[in-house]
Amino acid sequence: MPGRDGIAGLVCLAGSLGLLALTRGLPHPALVPIGPGFYPRIVLGVTAALSVVLVLADLLERRRARAGAAATVEAPLPLIRNPRLVGATFAIFAGYVTLMPLVGFRLATALFVLALQAALEPEPRRHWLRIVLVAVFTAWLTHLAFEGYLSVLLPRGRWTGF
Amino acid sequence: MWELLGASLLDVAHLKYLVPLCLGTLAGIVGGALPGVTITMTIILVLPFTFGLDPLQGLAAMTGVYVGGECGGLITACLIGIPGTPSAIATMFDGYPMAKKGEPGRAVWLGVWASVAGGLLGAVFLIAATGPLAAFALEFGPWEYFSLFMLALSMVAGLTEASLLKGLLAGAIGMVITVIGADPIMAVPRLTLGSDFLRGGFPFLPILIGIFAFAQIVADVEKMGPAGPAGPAPIANPTLSVSHVKVIGEILSRPFLLLWSTLIGLLIGVLPAIGGSAANIMAYDQAKKFSRHPERFGTGIPEGIIASESSNNSNVAGSLVTIMAFGIPGDAVTAVMLGAMIIHGIQPGPLFISQEPRIAYGIFAAYLLAHPIAVVIIALGTRLFLRIVTVPKSALIPVVLVLCVVGAYALNNIMDNVWVLLIFGVFGYVLVKFGFPLAPLILGVILGDQIEVNLVRAIMTDANPWLFLTRPISGALIALSVASVVLAVWQHHRTQARLAKAPEVDVDF
Repeated sequence: MPGRDGIAGLVCLAGSLGLLALTRGLPHPALVPIGPGFYPRIVLGVTAALSVVLVLADLLERRRARAGAAATVEAPLPLIRNPRLVGATFAIFAGYVTLMPLVGFRLATALFVLALQAALEPEPRRHWLRIVLVAVFTAWLTHLAFEGYLSVLLPRGRWTGF
Repeated sequence: MWELLGASLLDVAHLKYLVPLCLGTLAGIVGGALPGVTITMTIILVLPFTFGLDPLQGLAAMTGVYVGGECGGLITACLIGIPGTPSAIATMFDGYPMAKKGEPGRAVWLGVWASVAGGLLGAVFLIAATGPLAAFALEFGPWEYFSLFMLALSMVAGLTEASLLKGLLAGAIGMVITVIGADPIMAVPRLTLGSDFLRGGFPFLPILIGIFAFAQIVADVEKMGPAGPAGPAPIANPTLSVSHVKVIGEILSRPFLLLWSTLIGLLIGVLPAIGGSAANIMAYDQAKKFSRHPERFGTGIPEGIIASESSNNSNVAGSLVTIMAFGIPGDAVTAVMLGAMIIHGIQPGPLFISQEPRIAYGIFAAYLLAHPIAVVIIALGTRLFLRIVTVPKSALIPVVLVLCVVGAYALNNIMDNVWVLLIFGVFGYVLVKFGFPLAPLILGVILGDQIEVNLVRAIMTDANPWLFLTRPISGALIALSVASVVLAVWQHHRTQARLAKAPEVDVDF
């Protein structure tokens, strides 16, 4: 079973080989010495080679660790601390990005700030007023600053029209 | 040169530029003071506000953020014992003990005035060296540029704390990202999987915002909750009044320390994508090595603060030299500035100072003026900044993410950019979790296109690949690239050997 580096190396190797296969379909012009696939093949080849070295280095490291039986074996640190909160943060952000073109910047932003604060705050019920105020003011102030003063147009909602 | 600088100083002192510069400096100080909000994050947040401004206004604001951020980091480092930015870590080693010993004002103002001294000495180098270095870079052909970019990538990969192999792989992944989209010679779409959006390639700034913002924010999210460790105790009701003449005298009475630390900051700033976090630690380490009393370091002595702060502010000048003379970002902050320049239609590089003298000297002027502005802001607002630090992360993180979204969206008013932000946010987070350094990845993304263009140009001019080695400058740069990789491997082995010996030393005690 490969370690973290081995897994990372295998994923990078698969990705670079997959993309390398896609470069086979690129045209090769007759008039110029190198075509559009020349540089990608070099970069993807280097990436694949480095990935292989990473996998091999991981295998060697693990073999060395197994050989040193006297060494104390420490439990590996968890990959993600607080995985629920991390997952919730990404999910709420993805929801925000999905919702924005539908309901517009202001409403989506207010809902996003509300939802993420509620998720991150250890005692959301106790601080509900602050959570609501921060959500409303963030949506209002960013819209005012960017559309009103900096001439940056923010997304309108297909469903709401604003 | 000096006439242009004088005119630019008067230009930037005009309210039109002075207001964004002051606001940028204020934002930098607040962002720098807030633990967990780095200067890179602050400049990413300020970026969308510059879209509606003229180029010099926007760049003045960003220069203000950069200088202010380096100064702001020391406030919390000295008074709370938590460095606001990674570039203030070494400041904390002596600043916090000095404040705890009842001299918080001395600690903060030693840092502020050392920052100003280092920054202004750095400005001399910035103004004097950028033009000649740009002129030197004009001698470069595609071979030299290709070799220079390879040197930048190999140095960054080698100098990152994670393994050299992962650094190199991260750089290669960054370059793979730039391969997606139309090729620069014939505009043939590559690896786009039929997506119209990808025909133009991934936009650089949403990638940068996604990778840096999410990597940092999610790291903060991981620490949230009841299990989080308690930080050091803040200094209760700190008295910041101090004799400024005495403090400045303390700094100027150590000219070698000031100059040496400034030089270290400058050199590290000139090296691509390393930044103030390395500069302050290295300067502190050097100050300790040169000191007659190294054992006193860490107990609250002025030398530690002066070394750290003068180096991290001169580092800003070094980074600005690299971006203005070569078009290579000196660190993540200048990478965002590079993106902002491109958005405003300015191409940084050797021709920048001759083609855009008003903006180039405007940046010099903004850099010079940002220092006294930072002093005034810190004098007026340190107590307020200490209150801002208490803003709960649960309220801060959503607001930061909203500004990231606006920054990505406002680039060309399309939601696809926001999706790119999210995708690369997840991607960057996964890479961090697997121990990949982000600096080489970002540098690969920034330089990937330029590496390709120069490689193709070189081969189309002359198909002989030996020219990369036989042209003197190109050959020297390639030799330096190889040397940097060899040095990194040697250092890695030396560290491993030391670690292997470490337990024996522990047994003796």
